Order: sequence, then C-alpha cells, then structure tokens
Amino acid sequence: MDNLEVSPARRRFFLTVILGGVGAVLAGAAGWPLFRFLSPSKGEGEGGKTAIGRDKVPVGGAHFFNFHGHPAVVVQPQPGQFIALTAVCTHLGCIVKWEADKGDFLCPCHGGRYSPDGQVTAGPPPKPLESYAVQIQGDQLLVG
Amino acid sequence: MPLVKKVVDWVDVRLGVRDLLEQNLSGYLLPKNVNVWYSLGSVLLALFGLQIATGFLLLIYYVPDTTRAFESVLRIMNDVPYGWLIRYLHMVGSNMIIVVLLLHMLSVIFMGSYKRPREITWLSGFLLFNLGMGLCLTGYLLPWSQLSFWATTIATDAAGTVPVIGGRLVEFLRGGASVGEPTLGRFFALHVMGMPLLLGAGIGLHLFCVRRIGISRPPFGPDAKPAEVGSYFHHEEHPGGIPFFPNYTVEDGAMVCFFLALICSVVFFAPQLFMPEEALVPADPFSTPAHIKPEWYFLWAYQTLKIFPTKLTGLAAQGAFMTFLALLPFIDRGAERRPSRRPLFVTCFVLGILLFVGLSIWGHLS
Repeated sequence: MDNLEVSPARRRFFLTVILGGVGAVLAGAAGWPLFRFLSPSKGEGEGGKTAIGRDKVPVGGAHFFNFHGHPAVVVQPQPGQFIALTAVCTHLGCIVKWEADKGDFLCPCHGGRYSPDGQVTAGPPPKPLESYAVQIQGDQLLVG
Repeated sequence: MPLVKKVVDWVDVRLGVRDLLEQNLSGYLLPKNVNVWYSLGSVLLALFGLQIATGFLLLIYYVPDTTRAFESVLRIMNDVPYGWLIRYLHMVGSNMIIVVLLLHMLSVIFMGSYKRPREITWLSGFLLFNLGMGLCLTGYLLPWSQLSFWATTIATDAAGTVPVIGGRLVEFLRGGASVGEPTLGRFFALHVMGMPLLLGAGIGLHLFCVRRIGISRPPFGPDAKPAEVGSYFHHEEHPGGIPFFPNYTVEDGAMVCFFLALICSVVFFAPQLFMPEEALVPADPFSTPAHIKPEWYFLWAYQTLKIFPTKLTGLAAQGAFMTFLALLPFIDRGAERRPSRRPLFVTCFVLGILLFVGLSIWGHLS
C-alpha cells in the first residue's frame, strides 16, 4: 500500500478543525447551563392574578404594587370603580405618581400626564398606560 | 489570519509581546525528563479558576443571612436552572483541590524540590496549602446546614485550648459566644474576598519564584544533580530541554482534562460523596447531630485531638507537625535529592503517608 504524502499545512489544518470542533462542542456544553443559570426564572413576568385588599385603595386614592415583576398601580376614581394600570411611563420608563388633588397621574421625569384610566392628557408620552383587568371578589381585588 | 497578524504586530511594536512570549513559552525550556507530577501546579491553577468562576455564579443567588442562607442554597439546588451543577462543581472542585494540593506537596517532598535554593517557593506553596484549607473551612459554614454549623462549632472550639487567651480567641473567631450571624458574616467575607485576595497574591509569588529560579530537574536518571546554591543568584537553565509551549503545555492540558473529568464523574455519578445527611438539614443551634465528623482532610487532625490525653497537647502536636513541614527546607539541608540515595528520608516519607491515611481512617471509623 502506498503511503500518501500529507503536507504539514494540511495536517495543521486538520488538527485546527478537530480542535476547533471539540472546543466549540465543549464551549456549548459549558455555555448552555451558564446561560440558563443566569436567565430570569420562569415565574418572573408570567403567572396568574395578583390579589390586593380592597381597603388599600381609598376613593380618590391609588395603591402601587408589583404585578408580575413590573410596577403597577390601582386607583379608585369613583366609589366602586377600580382601574389597574402599569405604573411605567410610556415616554422613557420612569414611574408615574398619583396626584390625588388633581385626580391624575404625573410622570416626574418629563411632566407627562395621564388621566385615571391611563390616557395621555399632556406632555411627551407617545401612548396611554397599559391597563389590566380588575375583578372584585369580596374584599379583594384580583388584577390580571 | 492577516487581521490577527496585524493586531499582534500592532501590540508587538508597542509592548514587545513576541519577545515576551518567546522567552516564557516556546523559548522556555524544561528538563527533558520532566514528569506528569510537574503538571499538578497547572492543574491547581485551573481548579482555582473553576472555583472562582463557580463561586462568582453562586454569589448571584446565595444570601449570607442565617435566616435565609439554607433556603437560598435549596433554591440554587432545586429552582435555579443548572444551579445544582454549579454548586456541585464548586463543592467537588474544592475537595479535588485538596487532593491535588496534597499530591503536589508530596511530589515536591519526594523529589526534594523544596531544597535550596527553592526555600521561598516551598514556603509560598505551604502558605497556599493552608489558605486552601482555610477556604474550605470558611466555605463549609456558608450553606448554614446542621453539618456546617456543628463542624464550624467544633473547629472554632479547638482554639479554646490555647492557654490564657483561648476563650477570647474562640469568641473573636466566632464574633460572639457561639456560632451565629456574626460568624456567618466573618466567614462569608473571608471566603469570598479576604482569602481569595491572599490566595491570588500567594499564587503570584509562587509562580514568580518558580519562573525566576527555574524548574528543578527531576532527581532521577544519570543527569540527576544535587541541590546547589552559590553566593550569587543563579537561574537553573535546561539547554536541550523541551519547550514549555507547545510540548509541555499539551501535557499540562491533558492533566487538567483528566482532573476535570474526575470532577465531572463525581458530580454526575456520585454527588453525595461529599454531602452527608446532616448537610441536607438546616442548622439548629439547639440540636447537635450524633456522630458529626469533619471533612475527610481534617480527619487526621480530629483523630490526633482524640488520641492525646488533653486537647492542648493534641493541638500542640499538630502545630509542631505543621511547623516542621513549613521549615522542612531549613531542617533537611543536605544537597542530595535522589530518593534512591536517601533511604531514611524515603522511610519517613512512606511512614508519614501511612500515618496520615491511618489516622484519617481511624477518625472516620471511631
């Protein structure tokens, strides 16, 4: 059988490909668990309804709470009327403030204003605040 | 490739990296008869790297608070994706470091590499060995399990036998009369910041010594030479030896892979090896579990304390042994390094290992 001559350049290329392949597989095997380890847990940002005591939201007042990992607010502009909204301003992501005396939301960063149902009434916000469904169940409000 | 070459050229013009790499890699020659035992230092470097990486990841989820530490570890093990893998790698890795540290030290002792002019290398290595043990001890408390709590109680209690200041010393170590929140705070700070910083500095000094003096020639074969030191500094050269890169680096890499494979085999097939039942129960300061034992590498010390009539003499015996080990190059001043010419030394070496193993087994069974 003839000995086929293989040039050193081809040997080097072969070795590089093999080592590169093995390295890529090992990097993947180590990288995937690392990625999963650092990824947010599945419960975050998902899930069912959030319960809030009805007494926490007075008439004309607001209650801020955490809804699936995001700041949210529920207001009671009229007796028995509950509105739940995201508390994150649609302009640049600041958290809005409830101004009880004016009965609306103010974004302290750039002066954006929203009505109690989340509609933009003044300032730079490009769109209304996202709203969430609210159910009244006894003395609890179920948001989501 | 031309882009890589351009970048290297750019850096080379400014920092002369090609010269530096040539001097320390391909132009750095090791003795021809260098053996696998010389790779254990590289293995330790890789394992310390693994500990830093996994320790950093564990810090993301671990809470150093006595009311939440155990719960946070449970969360890492059960809820965080691949948290079990990271924690087991950290736990098994720490045990493997002790194994490799012992093997590294034993090989250095057997080949007489601690002898002049390498006294500082030996001392820095001995410091690293103790730091490694200290890291294991401080890390042991962090999960705040029954095992953690009581092992730390016993370990810190041993300091109480020191005459006059014993009681104060125990309180100082614990940050209070008994192991509690202040102890966890101290051990956590030492484990994640204090000791790793010292370890980094110690590794730097150790590597500097190794590189500055040069690798010692294995004391086997016709070329074996006695340890020598003159009036001037001399870097031990090995003309005609094998290049550190790529030749010996490949052997180093193979050894690192071997030990990583060993760690993975324990992690995947016998993860409970280093985790007794007490490690699965949260710490209860009012209930000592029966038959609590220290980790395997402290069993010899544990048994020594039991053999001697008083704790103080037991502790003094351990101290004497560790001092002897630290000062070995200054006590054993002979130039001869060949084991075949040192029958008394080899006998003591073998008996020493048997004593360590025997005391450890006795400690485990008693």
